[in-house]
Amino acid sequence: MTIVSDIMASVLSAALAAPESAHAVASAVEPGPWWVSLIPALPMLACILCGVCAAMRVKSKLPAWITVGCLGVSFALTVAMFQQLAGGRSVTVAWEWINIGWTDTHGREQRLLANFGFYVDSLTCLWMLFVTGLATLIALYASEYMSHDVGAGYCRFFAAFSLFVFSMACLVMGDNLILLYLGWEGVGLCSYLLIGYFYKKPSAVAAAKKAFIMNRIGDLGLALGVFLTFVQFGSVEYKVILEAAQPWIAAAQAGHFSEIPATVQLIPILLMIGAFGKSAQLPLYVWLPDAMEGPTPVSALIHAATMVTAGVYLIARTYPMFLVSEYALPIVAWVGALTALVAATIGMAQFDIKRIMAYSTVSQLGYMFAGLGVLTSTGAAFHVFTHAFFKASLFLSCGAVMHGFAGQLDLRKLSGVGKMKGWLVVTIAMLVGCLNLSGFPFTAGFFSKDMILAETFVTPGMAPIGWILLLTAGLTAYYTFRVFFRVFVGPKYFEPGDEAHAHDDHGHGDHGHGDHHDHAHAPETDHGHGKAHEFHPHAPGWAINLVLGTLTLCSIAAAGLYFMGDHGGWVGKMVHDSSAAIPAVAHDAAHAADGHGEAAHAVAHGTFLGMDPHKAMYYVSGVIGFIGIGVAFFLHYLGRTTAATANADKLLPMLGPIPRLAQGKWFVDEFYDLLIVKPLHLISIVFAYVDKLLVDGLVNLFGWIPRAFGSSLRPLQGGNLHGYAVQMAGGVAVLLLIVYLASIAGL
Amino acid sequence: MSEKLPLLIPEIIVFLTTCIVMVVGLSPNLAVRRSCGLLSAIGLVFAAIFAVNGPAGDGLLPAMTPYAKALIALVGVLLVLLVAGTVDREEDARVARGGVFDALRTNRAEFYSFILFSLTGAMLCASATDLIWLFLALELTSLPTYVLVTMSTRGTRSQEAGVKYFFLGALGAAVFLYGFALIYGGTGSTKFVDISAAIADHGMNPITLAGMILAIIGVSFKIAAVPMHFYTADVYQGAAAPVTAFLAFVPKTAGFLSLILLLAIVGWDHGSVIAAGHALPSELRLLLWVVAALTMTVGNVLALLQSSPKRMLAYSSIAHSGYMLVGLIAGPGAYGASISHNGIAAVLFYLAAYGLMNVGAFAALAGLERRGRDGRPVEIDSFDDLRGLCATHPMLGWTLVVCSLSLLGLPPLLGFFSKLTLFTSGIAAGEIVLVIVLGINSAVAAFYYLRLAGVAMLEDATDGPQPGLAPFPARAISGLIALVLVVSLSFFGNGLLNASRNAAVVEGSGVRAPGHTPQQPGQHADEHKDASDPAKDASTSVAQRVGA
Repeated sequence: MTIVSDIMASVLSAALAAPESAHAVASAVEPGPWWVSLIPALPMLACILCGVCAAMRVKSKLPAWITVGCLGVSFALTVAMFQQLAGGRSVTVAWEWINIGWTDTHGREQRLLANFGFYVDSLTCLWMLFVTGLATLIALYASEYMSHDVGAGYCRFFAAFSLFVFSMACLVMGDNLILLYLGWEGVGLCSYLLIGYFYKKPSAVAAAKKAFIMNRIGDLGLALGVFLTFVQFGSVEYKVILEAAQPWIAAAQAGHFSEIPATVQLIPILLMIGAFGKSAQLPLYVWLPDAMEGPTPVSALIHAATMVTAGVYLIARTYPMFLVSEYALPIVAWVGALTALVAATIGMAQFDIKRIMAYSTVSQLGYMFAGLGVLTSTGAAFHVFTHAFFKASLFLSCGAVMHGFAGQLDLRKLSGVGKMKGWLVVTIAMLVGCLNLSGFPFTAGFFSKDMILAETFVTPGMAPIGWILLLTAGLTAYYTFRVFFRVFVGPKYFEPGDEAHAHDDHGHGDHGHGDHHDHAHAPETDHGHGKAHEFHPHAPGWAINLVLGTLTLCSIAAAGLYFMGDHGGWVGKMVHDSSAAIPAVAHDAAHAADGHGEAAHAVAHGTFLGMDPHKAMYYVSGVIGFIGIGVAFFLHYLGRTTAATANADKLLPMLGPIPRLAQGKWFVDEFYDLLIVKPLHLISIVFAYVDKLLVDGLVNLFGWIPRAFGSSLRPLQGGNLHGYAVQMAGGVAVLLLIVYLASIAGL
Repeated sequence: MSEKLPLLIPEIIVFLTTCIVMVVGLSPNLAVRRSCGLLSAIGLVFAAIFAVNGPAGDGLLPAMTPYAKALIALVGVLLVLLVAGTVDREEDARVARGGVFDALRTNRAEFYSFILFSLTGAMLCASATDLIWLFLALELTSLPTYVLVTMSTRGTRSQEAGVKYFFLGALGAAVFLYGFALIYGGTGSTKFVDISAAIADHGMNPITLAGMILAIIGVSFKIAAVPMHFYTADVYQGAAAPVTAFLAFVPKTAGFLSLILLLAIVGWDHGSVIAAGHALPSELRLLLWVVAALTMTVGNVLALLQSSPKRMLAYSSIAHSGYMLVGLIAGPGAYGASISHNGIAAVLFYLAAYGLMNVGAFAALAGLERRGRDGRPVEIDSFDDLRGLCATHPMLGWTLVVCSLSLLGLPPLLGFFSKLTLFTSGIAAGEIVLVIVLGINSAVAAFYYLRLAGVAMLEDATDGPQPGLAPFPARAISGLIALVLVVSLSFFGNGLLNASRNAAVVEGSGVRAPGHTPQQPGQHADEHKDASDPAKDASTSVAQRVGA
């Protein structure tokens, strides 16, 4: 017994032991104002109120207004938090959440402390500004977009929507990795709930499950990373772990990675796996395109602007830990670049405009990861910020089209939408979004993408990534404008969507929800209003137009941020003040053009074909963008033969099987199915038999033993008073005898 | 003597409330009579407030006194709400039909005052400093419950249960009184501090040891531990459901408080091979070990076979007593140990958690009733009546589901955390085998608790007449409060954890240097105030232990 307990104790203590560095004094982190806690609390309140609405069977737009109101206040508070910040770092503790202390066998105090606290620095503000801002706008958009579903579904939608914002706020604002993990799982759950919003549609359910399961793989990595962080540093609080990593940074910058413990270098790789899952990077990206089964506002907010950037946030937040790992950042860079390319090639060959946008999201996320990997956290964060706005406006424009054309999303069946009455705002929003996405000169997307591209050539050894990303930029410009030229200009033509297999809101109409907006029986002539007239696309109302207009203005204005200061403008300043800042030494080592310490570092500085990448990239990427747009213009605008066909189609046979493979998404899903799902299924059949015969047998046996034992005790419970008294007295005697015998035997 | 009065203010408040209730319950005015429950609840709330803000006790565990009193008073409030409408239902109906009010035929006044008497007794157990005091307090807890059981329903089963409970209770009392007498004989004192000093100075002589063993076995009657558990099922089933909830908490709490005090007299510093320096004397450890293992096993396996939810909960309450005994064996650990190493803190925390979950589970049973053959309302007494409860009566249903899952110890509910502390303190004390037994028993318990939750949540209601809501909203409110507390404490239970940890500091444990002299009560209170710096205290105690 002694041995067993000793072994257990020593194993436990070894597993939980922390080095002395864990107790390093944290840097100057001030207590923050209490109202910071309201930023996540208000969305939670909205979620609860929407739940109450559902319980009270509210049949109005009340849930939407509650959500918009709460999120709006939350956004206002975020702005106030940003105003108050002034470059500092603060922690607001809402309440003590987990606080477990123990002493290991070496007598050292161990403590797992995870408060429900909010760590606010400029990185937090940067993220929260667009999370709460976009959430407010998109909730307003959704109030109109989801109006066909007023009732229980409406409440459910906005409750999950608010819960998402709460989780995202926890993820971004949490002051420790455990709270981040809570938020991380929370956004995953909300994503699952909202992708599967039309839960009667098998494809939506399948997509929701796929997203959830793919994310589990990543989350396992994240969880292991958090555990290892605690084991290594004895804490999960940012203010402790980010400090603890500092001593090694100098060694890492000098290239002496062998001086850094292997565990420390392993942590970022585990965290990175989590980031790949959440941000849809190779090889875990396949869930994101399918996630477009959810309502479009969800796609815009969760699957384009905010949740999928959580991986970028995680890496940026724990950047010091990535800097001390020899392989983590190069892996991030390569995975990002390859994801960007693969997703862009798939996006080129799709016909469903929402799906094209989904692949472009995966591709742009690849850019962000590549940016992180080549040591420009500023570029990555800037791209996250600009991408959030223009991609949201692109998705919402697609959503407006889908809403207006009864679920039609096929670019072969829509044409000339821009010329129709009432579609002007949508068209402008789409055009601005497309220009941003394709990196048209002087748009926000141009500057943020340039920053990443330039840095790939600056960082030694990363030039191949730069070439991959340049190629991707051209492909992006092409497929983006392919959509624009096919759908928004050209001859007026449309086929309304067949609602029965539409991707969105109306899809469940034929499953018994039938209100009279039911478009379910809508072939081309009757779209369900009960009159046999021609299909009229219904142009978006004020809420959708207002939101699209605002987003368009935001994405144009975002370009101005680039000029607000040196080194990446406003975002650069924000990143520089936060944990994602690259320490001066590391930055300079690869960075002469910044002007500080150029003589010493000119050697290490990479060039782009002998030119300074920062300057050259403005022209190069601008030209590449033009080429992409030009090709699209030539093939899909000038070369348009009918709405459904273009001269581009004639080129396809020249490319052999490539277009077919790209359209089939390189058959990655099928490959995964063959490689992972099928073998697992086979194994599961085997195990099912083992379970049935062996395990169930054992369980039944164990179930039978207590029952048999119980039955044998049962006669003792005869209900007879004398019997009970005798048994009690006998029991006392037996116990006394046991103790007596034991003490004689010296036990 | 008068210096003890501030310590007894909560008891005095409850006693005064008892007097008021006894008079008010006889009023000819129905509304006034009905205010008995409310008055009792208000009195208990005040008692809890005064207990929390009152002085620490002057016994071996000074900080436990306010904690235990507040716990008893607050769970008492829920129990008082739960017993609404248990007595006088027919009498009220008769008066409402125009009958003449007859004070001799009503039971309300006695019923509520007995409840309050019993709660007073339990509170007095917490502040006991003397064997005689402890005996009187325990009997004050138990005697009213015999009557409560008898009068709780009009059927003969209640009377049978009351009689059995009384006789077997008397037998149990005789056993521990015999034990107390032997302890007095062995040490020459009835005061805890003196006994403790005598044991510390001269060790345990055989008479003291025999007395201690008998005292522990006798008090085990209150907590329904093997072999004193035989009454449980019959009595719990015979009583009305709200009274059963009362029995499952109040005497059990009194019993555990008494056991903690008795063991604190002996101290957990009788080093053994297993945990150097921290253990009970090996005979007592063996006794409690056997009792704990048997109690949880017998309780669980008998609960498996029951077809009546009330009887099932009765047996499971035996099992819970067994779990908590593990914490008693583990003891308070080193001075200032965290809750994961402090078995006493774990027991105190478990008592609070169990009290709430127990009220919740019984509220679901008490909140329902069906028509008997003669048209009178009768309690529900089978799993069939609970089928589909979540659909038919969502609030009661979910209360039952959450509380039974929590009783089972499913994370992240309150019951999980309370059981976890028992596990960790058991491991810390080196009782690996017993912890394994505890683990296996928890798994067995899952079977019947999941059945309870599953019947309510997953199955459809049976055809035929459904049980309806009992016409006493207070019962459902009590369940709802319990539910809210169970859920919220699951997430924000740190305060309770810390409170129970602070309550479980045994004065003088582990620091008994040779030549240690018993401290006077006055000194104790002062010392407790000084102990506000735990780091300092911990270091001194370590230093002293090293010195010893």
